[in-house]
Amino acid sequence: MNGRWRAFLRLFAVQGAWNYERMLGVGMGYAAEPLLEDLGNADPGRHAEAVVRSAEFFNCHPYLAGLALGATVRAEYDQVPGPQIIRLRTALCSPLGALGDQLFWTGLSPALLSAALIAVCFGAGAWVTLVFLLLYNVARIATGIWSLRTGLAAGADVGHKIADSWLPKAARRVGPVAGFLIGLAVPLVGDWALQWVTGYQFALAVGIALLGMFLSLRFRHSITSVRFALGMIALTLAWRWIA
Amino acid sequence: MITLPLLLVLLLWGTIVGLDVVTFPQSMVSRPLVAGTVTGMLIALVVPDSRLNPVFTGMLVGSVLELYALDVLPFGAARYPDFGPATVSAVYAALGWKPEAGLGGATAVGLVTAVLGGWTMQMVRRANAAAIQRKAAALAAGDTRAIRSLQLGGIRRDIARSAGVTACGLLLGIIIWPLLPPGSENFRWVSVVAVGGGVAAALSGAIRVAGRTRRLAWVMAGLAGGILIVGLQ
Repeated sequence: MNGRWRAFLRLFAVQGAWNYERMLGVGMGYAAEPLLEDLGNADPGRHAEAVVRSAEFFNCHPYLAGLALGATVRAEYDQVPGPQIIRLRTALCSPLGALGDQLFWTGLSPALLSAALIAVCFGAGAWVTLVFLLLYNVARIATGIWSLRTGLAAGADVGHKIADSWLPKAARRVGPVAGFLIGLAVPLVGDWALQWVTGYQFALAVGIALLGMFLSLRFRHSITSVRFALGMIALTLAWRWIA
Repeated sequence: MITLPLLLVLLLWGTIVGLDVVTFPQSMVSRPLVAGTVTGMLIALVVPDSRLNPVFTGMLVGSVLELYALDVLPFGAARYPDFGPATVSAVYAALGWKPEAGLGGATAVGLVTAVLGGWTMQMVRRANAAAIQRKAAALAAGDTRAIRSLQLGGIRRDIARSAGVTACGLLLGIIIWPLLPPGSENFRWVSVVAVGGGVAAALSGAIRVAGRTRRLAWVMAGLAGGILIVGLQ
């Protein structure tokens, strides 16, 4: 099977045509195209069916999409019946979404960013952002390569391969680290960004932080943190104009 | 203070980070800390005026907007603000001001632009869905050219969206200052509120994600450690 690297590169844009109808579907179809080329030469009928299936509804974490892509393409080459491949795709949506969100969006990304913020507060220069980008992208690219390889090797058995892999363990372990680092970073950034203000103003910032936390946790759907901040800024402007 | 080369550089950079948020390649250059720092570096290259200190301004504005962005989880179909182009505009807005004075107005510019970016993201997603409807027959026939055309069309739409949002943000960065009550003390109050709001955003996001799991204890432990360090300093 050729086209693995082209498929891998296309996975970087797997959300390129993201929409509410097929979500990642079109991006998956685009990434599957180079992998399915050999199937087109061997069995044009099966190839056309495989292309249709590859672009149907799909959703998962974008960095782990390679697992589903590899598994379904391999299943197409293995002549697994079409309805079974569709069921495989559907079955992979939730676990790959949950694992990826846990590992990257609520784990590695906030952990590394918080570490970078802490470093900035202690006087680190612009280089810290480059270190963050490097570390994050090494992890992300390595995961992407592993995902596609594992999917292509496992085919329809990909579920077991994922369960036995490092992925669930890493997703569980990175969460507490991220939580600790965010907790540590927030007061440090607040203090660093307010190093010029008076005691009264610092107390006001703490009061606003507590009020904002309470409101956005209590009324999370109506008062988002951005709405709260914009509302408070507007109130402050009105107060200062009047004063 | 904006010159044509600076405008073009910031538009290009804003477009790149806007594209990075979802479409391509999600490498995290769109995170406010990164986008802000790089914006500062780019401004330093194009406008070599040492009084501006754009790299520090970029890191400061980026760090505060990062607190807001830590509350955002780009899960699947969730709607969320777009902090990439917003940070580029915010850093530009803060230029020329002392950090304590410029931070508040810049954060306001960033937040408004981020909300605008979030709305436009929904519009692009709806436009992508409409394009799929138009090519439904070709997709059902397994036409790879249709898939390619839809994919490239989606990327093109997001490029246009990102450039548009960045342009609006830069414009907002120019017109925001006359709207604020004059005087550096007034600007400083806005900065205080902006940072307080950022702290609230990051902490409420961390607590919400943790729920009632063991992770909450780790958030609280980190928070206690952070407060202790601030107290000792």
